[in-house]
Formats: sequence, structure tokens, C-alpha cells
Amino acid sequence: MLEINNLCVQYGDAAAVRDLSLTLGDNEIVTLVGPTGCGKTSVLRTVAGLIQPSAGEIRIGKLRIDSKRNVPPEKRRVGLVFQDFALFPHLSVADNVAFRLKDRAPAERWIEQLGLAAHRHAMPDTLSGGQKQRVALARALAHAPALLLLDEPLASLDAALKAQLRWEIRQALKAAGVPAIWVTHDQTEALSVGDRMGIMCDGRLEQIGEPDACFRQPASRFVARFLGDAAFLPGELGHTHVHTALGDAPIGDGVPANPARVDVLVRPDDLSLTPSTNGNSRIEWSRYEGETRLYGVRLDTGGELRVRTNHEHHLADGAAVDTRICAGHPLALFAPEPAARPAGEPIA
Amino acid sequence: MIDRRTLLKSAAALGLLGPTHLWAASNRQSIAAESADDLPPLVGKLSVYLGRGEGGLYDDIVAAIEKRNPELELSIRRAPSAALANTLVAEAKAGVSRADLFWSIDASSLGAVAAEGVSRPVPAAIRRHIKPDFRYEAWAAISGRLRTVPYNPTRLDAAAIPDDIMAFADTDLKIGWAPAYGAFQSFVTAMRVLEGEARTRQWLRGVKTQARSYAGELGVVMAVARGEVDLGFANHYYTLRLKQGKPDANVDLALTRNDAGSLVNSSGVLLLNDNPLAANFLRYLLTDEVQSYLAREAYEIPMAPGVALPQGLPERVQPPSLDLTQLADLKPTLDLLRETRVL
Amino acid sequence: MTRTPLSYLPAALAAAAALAPVAVLVWMSVGADLLIDGRAFEIALNTVALTLLTVAGAVLIGVPLAVVTTYADLAFRRVWVAVLAAPLAVPSYLGAFAFFAAFGPGGEIETVAGLATPRAQGLAGATLVMTLYTYPFVLISTRAALQSLDANVVDAARTLGLSLPAALLRIVLPRAANGIAAGSLLVALYTLSDFATPAIMQLDTFTRMIYVEYNAFGLDRAALMSLQLLALVVIVLFFESRVRVRRERPGRILRLPLGNGVKAAALLLAGLVVLAALVLPVAIFGAWLVREGVVGFEPAYALNSAYAALLAAAGAVILALPVAYAASVGWIGRLCERATYLGFGIPGIVMGTALLYLGLRLPLLYQTLTLLVLAYVLRFLPLAVGAVRSSTERVENNLVGAARSLGATPGEAFRRVSLPLILPGIVAAAALVFLEAMRELPATLLLRPTGFDTLATYLWRVYEAGYLGRGAVPALALVVVSGVALVLMLSGEARRRRLTAG
Repeated sequence: MLEINNLCVQYGDAAAVRDLSLTLGDNEIVTLVGPTGCGKTSVLRTVAGLIQPSAGEIRIGKLRIDSKRNVPPEKRRVGLVFQDFALFPHLSVADNVAFRLKDRAPAERWIEQLGLAAHRHAMPDTLSGGQKQRVALARALAHAPALLLLDEPLASLDAALKAQLRWEIRQALKAAGVPAIWVTHDQTEALSVGDRMGIMCDGRLEQIGEPDACFRQPASRFVARFLGDAAFLPGELGHTHVHTALGDAPIGDGVPANPARVDVLVRPDDLSLTPSTNGNSRIEWSRYEGETRLYGVRLDTGGELRVRTNHEHHLADGAAVDTRICAGHPLALFAPEPAARPAGEPIA
Repeated sequence: MIDRRTLLKSAAALGLLGPTHLWAASNRQSIAAESADDLPPLVGKLSVYLGRGEGGLYDDIVAAIEKRNPELELSIRRAPSAALANTLVAEAKAGVSRADLFWSIDASSLGAVAAEGVSRPVPAAIRRHIKPDFRYEAWAAISGRLRTVPYNPTRLDAAAIPDDIMAFADTDLKIGWAPAYGAFQSFVTAMRVLEGEARTRQWLRGVKTQARSYAGELGVVMAVARGEVDLGFANHYYTLRLKQGKPDANVDLALTRNDAGSLVNSSGVLLLNDNPLAANFLRYLLTDEVQSYLAREAYEIPMAPGVALPQGLPERVQPPSLDLTQLADLKPTLDLLRETRVL
Repeated sequence: MTRTPLSYLPAALAAAAALAPVAVLVWMSVGADLLIDGRAFEIALNTVALTLLTVAGAVLIGVPLAVVTTYADLAFRRVWVAVLAAPLAVPSYLGAFAFFAAFGPGGEIETVAGLATPRAQGLAGATLVMTLYTYPFVLISTRAALQSLDANVVDAARTLGLSLPAALLRIVLPRAANGIAAGSLLVALYTLSDFATPAIMQLDTFTRMIYVEYNAFGLDRAALMSLQLLALVVIVLFFESRVRVRRERPGRILRLPLGNGVKAAALLLAGLVVLAALVLPVAIFGAWLVREGVVGFEPAYALNSAYAALLAAAGAVILALPVAYAASVGWIGRLCERATYLGFGIPGIVMGTALLYLGLRLPLLYQTLTLLVLAYVLRFLPLAVGAVRSSTERVENNLVGAARSLGATPGEAFRRVSLPLILPGIVAAAALVFLEAMRELPATLLLRPTGFDTLATYLWRVYEAGYLGRGAVPALALVVVSGVALVLMLSGEARRRRLTAG
């Protein structure tokens, strides 16, 4: 449906997108995630036709766009849902949704489907944030786009609404059978709604793949850190396992062939705690999180790790414990950084 | 308002009135005023700079002329005479010409414009219809106004009023004046010409300590009548008009002798181009009808010979001998007024 | 992306035109002898004294009324706010005219009620009139500052041990200070520019003396004084640019439990102000109308006013659109916009002097309606730009983007999204300029074509001739125009509030 090849976008001297390639299958949802200013919104705006690429090409169905050949936004059949919703303030909900429709039936259908029937005649500035978002989505979908782009669609909503709307939007996209690129800076959102996710940093696409693959086998330390709590333990590579000071962990495919010394990515739930007077660490602090409990653990060899345990577990601050790797799945391995950090130093 | 009946009445009044020597002297070698009925109709566009119509009376005259000449397209710029004179001088310097005719209430404004060399001489045929003492080359006198000293008889005895204008600076009378007003400035110019710069400065300084300023001379006369001041300096007609409306108003007229205080100034018209329409318009202003109306309603002194004088005009007027064209030299007067902080 | 936007050209033209009057004044005054004598000093002193006293008066009236109308439980509060803001819409010359006629021996008050009153004139009279017609600047800006203060902040201060008065002094006042300052600077700007009030009250300020010089063969001196006045204006504008009023959305507006005594005192003050600023002039004009009828008045004056104002409104909007657009595009555009704001600071009498001189150099323009309309446009362009901008700001880029992503061409996006959103702004801009131009006096006095009298210049003529009663019809007509302006102003403010709240 969509193919982006070696896309570059320049703003004056600054490069917003560098050499980005991405394909989007029919009916697929790809989330693009990354910190503020990583270029993810620029990708969207380029695909939508609001910015012209400085190099590379974009294919949307049969359309081809590059730095010389532009296709105006209205000719692309690309829908766009904005972070601030961009509802036309002078038009009612129904008129917004049916903006360019001759036949208003699809508009009515989406208004019903997204639970907006009661607000059909309301003006946008009387709606709540969640309602506005639904109107924006209904408007985009009612115009039957070949492809939908969502630019941080949930960023201006509060947390409780986000979780609910996330699924509603995904369901709606799937129901409409419209492929979508969904840009967000929230990794939880990116992990949960995308069929695939792409992680961007500084204009580049660092990794693209299925969410759990990205989470478990991040392509870079940046990706590892961005997607969740991450610590890197120095380890020695064996045949089937990697050996660290906190025990062994299985290794998967695609292990770096050469270096025997590696850094092992451990996340808080890859570790376990056992009370032990001659353990290797001590509890610094703990935080109760409902279903789980997060501990800050100081290793006797120096450095702090975070460990997530079952909520029934309760250890007092200062208690001596033994911290161990307990992952049954392969852990991601990285080449050691040139200037190696002290073992187990936590990485926020 | 200006009709045949008025005309006849005015003519009848002529023989009955006892004219003062000044006005009487004007009856030599002049031809009686024309009647508007004998004039050619005015047709076409005419641009007039009108130096402040007195309370709408000039407007009434304009309206009457327009009514009589429906094909006359008159556009009028109204402003204080001095402002329009200034405008005309600035226009002359910039080589711009917009007006056909300048109708001013004050001789000094007319003189200032004439000094720029932009005026056309008053045609001799028209000049014949002006009293001989007021015939000038550059502009045509329309109506006369006399400088007077309106005083409040309940506060002051007529005998206590000096008959020398220069003596006012040495009294302790409370005086009202309107220094921003064109007629007052002409009066100061006359004093400068007659008495010299230094004495005028001294006079202004002296009077200033006991004077109160008003925006216009109607205000001065009203202040005198209210007793706000003992006396004032103002053109004669303000007092006459006030008395007409309020016969019991506490104001009478006093005159000084042979000095600026009893100056006879003149309103007039200056032709700015050779447009015959402008000259014909001027002829209308000198008709018996207009002149009678000015005398009767505005209490101004008619400049066309043979027209009745306004009622209540003081007798035994002894104006200074001064050529009104000398009043054109306004700049030193303004400098003097500024220097003494009167303006 | 680096293409120079097309809108820069008209915007730059507008900016150049806005700067032209100043250039003309400098050029004019080159020949004038720089007279820094006692007289010039006295004029400057009068001007500054009138400005400072008016600011003080406006603060004394505006701040207490702002506190009471914002924080107290007042019956008919919205009505009070509207009525107390009303004098802003009335040109101060109507007030000066009425006060001139009402007070003093032989004034209307003495005539009608037999009450002897002192004459309203000089510094005291001018201060009184200027204060009555400018305090709403302080009232409005102070109210805005007070409204943006969350009551919780005051409650927090009180839980930390401050008494209510102490909390008002230490928490509310510092916040309101900026609002008061902003309003005061507008008062100062307005007072410096006002021509008719000092002229009628016979106070020799710069504006009055510029007119005196213009009348008395001193165009170059008028130019020199115009520049001196502009220097004062620039000082005020400088301070104005430094004052930042913070606006935040309050959670809850403070309510003060005011005693009945305090409330009664506040209502008395408000009542007196309304009586003096609104009731008195209307009553006097009404009395004249009854006494003198419509003598001397010609409908042509009103038509002339409306015609010139209509042209000015059209001109200002046509220029404001590219300026507002350019300002949203880049810094050059913003610079152009800033330059057009200059017109707001140039007093009408100064604008008139400059353009009069320009007309004498360019005879094609001299005494033409074009030049008069140009003066209006330059003076009131900032109003139009402001109104258009406040509506173009509603058209966020995303809205056009959204329309186009839904398949609309740029033309259709403009027609169906941008235009309907800008249109109210354009209408408001046109109306504001129209109403201001309808009431403009000093520039009209100097620049009107021969035979072209407006309501304001006719009123002035009546004043100069001393036949005040004939001013009834034009004065009442101007009051009506001002009323319309007020309604527009208030509805504009309401709309803005709705938008920022949305």
C-alpha cells in the first residue's frame, strides 16, 4: 500500500528525516515511536503531502512522490488525524464528519459507530477531548482514505481515556480495513496498538518489527532504553548461555559471532530476589505498584538494579538479598561499549 | 430672507438714519449697490475658502445665493481665517491652487495672502460698488467691523474707562480677551504699526496680568455681561447681537480714540484666479440684498454705499488713520504674542 | 520552503506607508529653528502633567471599580461592567464639548438648575474630562488581570497565615500591577494623542499647539512639535512593549465578602462616573436638540462621515489581510506588522500635519478624499490587523492540512475553512475602522477636501463659532455611532473569551 524509500526531509539546514525506508501492508497498522523531535511527525506530514521530501521517494498505491514530483495532499487519498484534532470550529460534528461527502451515509455510519450520535449537531468547542478525537477519526474514516495517518492522536487526552480510546481506534481501523501509520511518543501505546512498530531517533529509523520482537531484541541500546527499564550487565558468551555475575541466561539466534565479552540487557522482570544473609545485594527502596512491586537493589559490587516481583513479595528496605537472572527466554546481547561502565550501573 | 421687501425697507431707511462722520464720508463718488436681480446667474463650479462664517449668518447668505443660482456648484472650505490664509500661503509656495476665492472676516489674512502675489486685482467695475475709503487693489472689502470695549455698566462707570487703549495696561480693571482670535490679532498688529513693537510688548505684558482668556470674542462679551470681568476687547457686533437677543444684558460699548482700540477692520474677498464666476460671486456679496442682510442680522457695517447701517452702532467713531493692508504683517504679531505668552 | 511569500510585498508597502509620516515630519522640521525656549518647555510640561494626572485619575477610578466588579457580589454586575466600559467608546471631544458647555458661569447647569459651578477649563478641566473617558482602559486591563488569578492561590496564602487584606496586598496586587500598568500606558497614549480636549479646555499641550501653529503660519513649527510629541509617544510605547500581562485560566474566581458600606461607596463612585461621562453629555445634547432643533445641520455631514469611513474600512481591511498573513509567515512579516502599529501611536493631529504637507508636495493628492482616507487607513490599520489576526490565528495550519487531507484543493480549503473562519474578523476589522473613522476629528480637520464636512468637523466648527446649540444633532449622531462601537467592542471581547475558553 505504502512504500517509503530512502526518504530525507530537510528544514533549511536541519535534517528532520534521514534515509528512512518503510513499507506498510494492506490493513496493517504501524506505529512510529520516538522522543520529541525524532522526525516521526515529519514522516507523517511528508506522506500526507504537507511537506515535500528533499530526497527519496514515497509510493502510495500507484502514486509516486519524490523531491521533484509532488502530488498535492487532496489527490493522495491519505487521511490525517491530528493531535489537536483540527476540527473545523465553524462546523457541527455532522458537518465536520461529512465535510466533503456527497453521500452522507458513511458519515452517519461512523458517527453511530463511534458513539457520537447524541452529539451530531454539537459544535466542536462544546465537546470533550475524547469526543473531539472520535469526531476527528470519524471524519477521516468517513472520507474513505486509502491510508490513514494518525499524529499523536491521544497526546492531548488524559491517561484513563487513552487506554480506552487506543483500542477503540485500533478496532475502528481494523473494521474499516484501512492501513495506518500511527505516530506517538508513548512506548506503551506504540507497543500495544501496532501490528509492527518503528522506533525513530534523530531522523533515523532505528528498528522496525513486531512489538514484542522490538522489546525483547532491541536493535540498539537506544531502542532498549526507550521501550522500557533497561540495565546492561557485562557477561561472557558461552555456547548455549551467557554467563554473568548474576547467573546465566539462554541465548537466542543471531548472537554476535565474534566477541566473547558482551553486555546483557536485563529488564526488571528478568531478575528475581531471594532473601539471603549472604546474598549479593541489599534492598535500597521499594515501590508498591498494585499487581507488582518494584525494588531498587544495590549490588555489593556497586551499581543499582531494578527488579520487579510479584506483589505478594515484601522485603524491608536494607534487607540482604540474592539477585539472580530468572529469564526463561533469551536476553538481548550487545557489544560492550568502548568505555565500559561499571557492572550493573543502572540506566534510567 | 433677502427679498424685494427688504430691499425697499432698506432704501427707505437710508434717508432717515443719522450717519456718523465716517460712514457719511463714504457716500462720495460711489454708485449705489446693485440688486441681485440685475446680476448674471452663477453657473458652474466654484471653490470658496470661507474664513469662519459668523454663527451661520454667512451660511445663510451662501444658502440664499445657492437657492437663487441652482446651477452653481459651490464647495466651501470653512476654517478660521488665519488657518485658511496659512493654507493659501502654503499652497502658493508649493505651487498648488485649489480655491477660486478667499472670503475672510479679517483684513490681515487677506493681506497675508495678497503678499504672496497670488491674488488677482479686483475689477474696477466691482470696486466702484465699494465705499471709497475701503477700496483696495488686491481685495474687495465686504463688511466693516469696529474694535470696541464692551463693559459691564453694573460694575463700572463709563467715565472710568480710558479713552486711550494704551492706558488699559495701567489700570486694575479685570479684562477679558481672546488672543487666539483673528480679529484680536489684527488689533495687536494695528497697535504694533501705530505704537511700535516695544510699547505693544509692554502693553501685552501689562494687560496679561489682569486679563482672562476666552476662545472667541462672543465669549468675551458674554463674560462681560455675566460680570466675570469688568470689560473686554471685542468687535462691535458681538455686543449688538447679544443685546438683540437679551436687551437687558449688562453690557454697553465704549470706544477709544484714534488708536488701535477703535480700529475699523474689514472682511473681504480676494480673487485667486481669473474665473469670471468668482468675480460674479463677489458681486453678489456686494448687492444691496446681501449688504442689508449683513447690516441687519449680523450688525456688520455695509461696505456697499447707500446701504443702511446696523442699529445701535456707536456714534462719533474716531478710528486711527491706518491702511488696512498694513495689517497683513501678522508674523511679528504672532511672535510677539508668543514671546509674551499671551498666545 | 524558502520562497519569499507573496504577501510580503503589500505588507512591506503598508509598513513603508506607516513610516512615511514620520519621515515627512523630519523633512518638514529641518527648516524650523529648534526653539527650546521657556515656551516649548511649558508646552511639554503641560502635556506631561496632563498625561500623568490623567493616568493617576484613571487608576484611582479604574482600579477600585475593577476590584469591585470582579470580586464582589454585585447586583447587575454584567450591566455595570458594560456601562462602566462605555465611556471608552465615546470620543473624549464629546465629553469636553459637553463639560465646556455645562460648567462655569452661564453654563447649562447654571441656566437649568441655577447652580453656580466653576468653569471646566485648563489643566483641571482637561484632566477631569480625559480621566472620565480613559479610566476604562485601566478598568478593563485590571479586571482581566484579576480574573486570571485563581482563588485557590489566595486561599493557599490564607492557610499559610495571611489575613485577607494582607493576601490581597501580597498576592493579588502584584498580579494586578501588570494589568494596571498596561491600562495606564494606554491611558497615557490616548491622552498624549488627544487633540480636542486640551483644545476645548484651552490647555496648551502639544496637540493643541500643533493646531495653533498650523493655523498661524507655522507648519514647520507644527512639524517640530509633532516630533517632540512623537518622542513622548515612543517612550510610552517602549514601556508598553515591556509590560507583559500573564493570562492563565483560573480555576475559580475570587469572591470577596464586601460589607454593605463598601459596596454602597463603590456603587456611588460608579454612579457618579456614569453620570458625568455618559448621562451629562447626552442630557446636554438632548437639551440643545429640544431648544434649537436641527438648525444648520445637513444630512450630508453624516453621509460624508460614513462615506469616508466606509472607504477607510475597505482600505484598511485590504491592507490588513496581507499584513496579518505576512506576520504569521515569518520575521520580516512580523517586522512589517510592527511598523504598521506605529500609526496607532501617531496622534491624529500629527498624522494630519504630515499628510497635509505631503499633499502640498504631491498636488495630485492635496485636499482629496484619497489623502483623508489614507490618513484614516494609516491611523486605524493596527485595529484592522489586530482583528484580522485574532481570526487568522483560529485558522491553524492543521485545519487547512486537514481539509486537504480530506481531498479539498487549496482553493476549496480557503473557501470552506479559512474564509468562514476569517470572515468574522474581517467584518469586525472593517466595523472597528469604520466607527473610528466616523468619529475622527483632528486629521479630518486638516485633510478634508473642500466642501466636505463630517459630523466631527461640523461639531468643531460649531464650537469655534461659539454656537454650541447647533452641535446637538452631530453630537447625538456621534453618541449613537459610539454606542454601536461599544456593542461591537463588548461582543468582540465576549467572542475572544469564548474562544480562549474553548
